[in-house]
Amino acid sequence: MKLMKLEIVTPLGTIYDGEVKQITLPGSEGEFGVLPEHATLVSLLKTGVITVEIADSPKIDVAINSGYVKVSESKVTCIVDGAIALAAGDSDITEKIKKATDLLKSTGTPHAAIAASISKVEHIGKSF
Amino acid sequence: MANLKDIQRKIKSVKNTQKTTHAMKLVSSAKLKRTEELASQSRIYATKLTEVMDEIAKKMQDLGEDAHDNVFFKENENPKKVDIIFISADKGLCGGFNSQTLKHVNKLMDGFKADDIKVRLSGVGRKGVDYYKFNNVEMMREVIGLSSAPDYDKAAEFISEIVDAYANGETDRIIMVHNGYVNMISQEVREDQVLPIDASEVKEGVESHSELEIEPNDDSTLLVALTKKYIEFSMYYALIDSLAAEHAARMQAMDAATTNAKEMVKTLSIKYNKVRQEAITTELIEIISGVESMK
Repeated sequence: MKLMKLEIVTPLGTIYDGEVKQITLPGSEGEFGVLPEHATLVSLLKTGVITVEIADSPKIDVAINSGYVKVSESKVTCIVDGAIALAAGDSDITEKIKKATDLLKSTGTPHAAIAASISKVEHIGKSF
Repeated sequence: MANLKDIQRKIKSVKNTQKTTHAMKLVSSAKLKRTEELASQSRIYATKLTEVMDEIAKKMQDLGEDAHDNVFFKENENPKKVDIIFISADKGLCGGFNSQTLKHVNKLMDGFKADDIKVRLSGVGRKGVDYYKFNNVEMMREVIGLSSAPDYDKAAEFISEIVDAYANGETDRIIMVHNGYVNMISQEVREDQVLPIDASEVKEGVESHSELEIEPNDDSTLLVALTKKYIEFSMYYALIDSLAAEHAARMQAMDAATTNAKEMVKTLSIKYNKVRQEAITTELIEIISGVESMK
């Protein structure tokens, strides 16, 4: 199986760095998925959730407020303002879910636009 | 000749000062370590951001849409109004840290004034703000408390107003002056041109992806958004850099102060012993001469 490198960086440090199978990103023009060997692309990201599928471990969701993504054939770089990673098995998952919801709400975008992302985050919380 | 009590009191006071300066040095070195960590984390973000920005600028050039036409890249040959932003510390006791920055700002201002260019001053940090207030220099914007605790949102808010003024054509150039961290024992004053961005730096060493797609499709939206982000981040990074330099400078200054205090205690102790010896000798002579006269 082909893998690609993913990096998610914020001003406060790297949130994620590793090899992944597939990524779903909240682009400004709509949500889109990226697989290895995707055409080069630069896009604005809006408030939402990045879903990362890793080869042989459970998926990770990262709530973000806004940012950019640069996709090249073997590497995806997400540059975001704020991000909270949610992964199964986190000991403080409830707290993280709360933080992620706050992050999504703090962006000032109309509630309707981010309602889907919030419910997604809440759903992730329940599924663990 | 000073009496024994006086010298003793002096020694005690110097020793106390020494304790304080030593403690301050330790505090600064701990804070420096934390700030350095923060800086290294931000550096990753800065590198990535620059990469993306370079690529888009390159792509715009390839499309024939000259990046130089963009207001953020267009160099004004005859600037009439310049914004200077400086970052100083909120606290003193850090050697020449603040005065170096302010000296540089003054030099810049004098240079611009000689060329008949208007200068507007904006500053971060109590020391610098107080200095210009004392000298009756008008400041456009001032922020206190940001340089001792860099905060991304506050930094962005501070710089965005200055950037907006630039975008509206109120100013022709933005220059930032701050003291930067080189290593534990040295700092240097850095002068950076925030806007317009030097496009020649962008051009070099970027591999071209001819098939690079950009979303949203309107190229300039992304470039403008990215440029603003880039500037905001430069401001934040400068604040961290300045804080690291401040801690390093304070560490050094306090180390020197501790050494000086130690030296002073030594000289004072020698003086104390001499005076004591003298007093004993005088007393002995008095006793002996008293005994002699009784004979």
